[in-house]
Amino acid sequence: MRKLLIWGLAAAFALPAWALDNIKMPVNLDKLAARATESVDVTLDASMLELASKFLSKDDPDEAQVKKLVSKLKGVYVRSFEFDKEGQYSLSDLESVRRQLKAPIWSRIVGVKSLKGENSEVYLQKDGSKIGGLVVIAAEPKELTIVHIDGPIDPEELSQLGGHMGIPNIGKSVKHESPKSGGKDQE
Amino acid sequence: MTEFEQQLTRALERREPSAGFTSRVLTAASQQQPARPRWQALRWALVLRVAPVMAALLVVVGGALYQRHERVERGEVAKRQLLLAVKIAGAKLHDAQQRVVSIGEIRAAGIEEEQ
Repeated sequence: MRKLLIWGLAAAFALPAWALDNIKMPVNLDKLAARATESVDVTLDASMLELASKFLSKDDPDEAQVKKLVSKLKGVYVRSFEFDKEGQYSLSDLESVRRQLKAPIWSRIVGVKSLKGENSEVYLQKDGSKIGGLVVIAAEPKELTIVHIDGPIDPEELSQLGGHMGIPNIGKSVKHESPKSGGKDQE
Repeated sequence: MTEFEQQLTRALERREPSAGFTSRVLTAASQQQPARPRWQALRWALVLRVAPVMAALLVVVGGALYQRHERVERGEVAKRQLLLAVKIAGAKLHDAQQRVVSIGEIRAAGIEEEQ
């Protein structure tokens, strides 16, 4: 009985720590896949990341960079949906994700809302002075993407992949673009 | 000569074989199969003992090869998923960063105009 009580208490204390590492993707998001013209569902836990990492080539500079990037990660989760028309998802679909991204563990570092309905949010999980995780929510009228990178990650390292693997080069594209994207508002 | 010696003489005296004895012996000798050589018997014993071991070995090696193939396939799928995830994450981070920079530039331009 006493042992049971100890195990129960241990489990109760362990649960919040476990919950931190596992942001639950809401069930209604999976239902969106039926309405989407294109959907991406990537779930890679630590063991799958380790396996995937073994298949990344050291000779390919892009893959070598990704290998280095994911070496410390505990999981990578992506849900992305593309629709042929607007209004296929509601913002409340995202609320259950946002509810899990609360301070003091999570802090929103970017929140951009546009009149065109193109919204971007970037959340960082604090792990002392380091970053323990990253969540990106990109909600556009015909597209919805949620990315959760679990583990220590430097967004700078991720942005260094710009110009490779089909990721636009941040520095270059910003320089060449004229600042005429009106109707946007930063939070 | 004693009676015993007489009996012995009778018993050992030469007798002619019955008719057709030679042909019967030759027929029987030709019908008798030659004895299997020892090495052949040993080979069969070896085959019978080794066959199950070889079959088991084949199953184990086959299973290991299949598992390796499965692992390679899972690894390749995981790699493709990982590269796709990194691509999407990078692109979405890029979008967010680009929007922030654009807004900053718009605001900076507005301040310059006011001045």
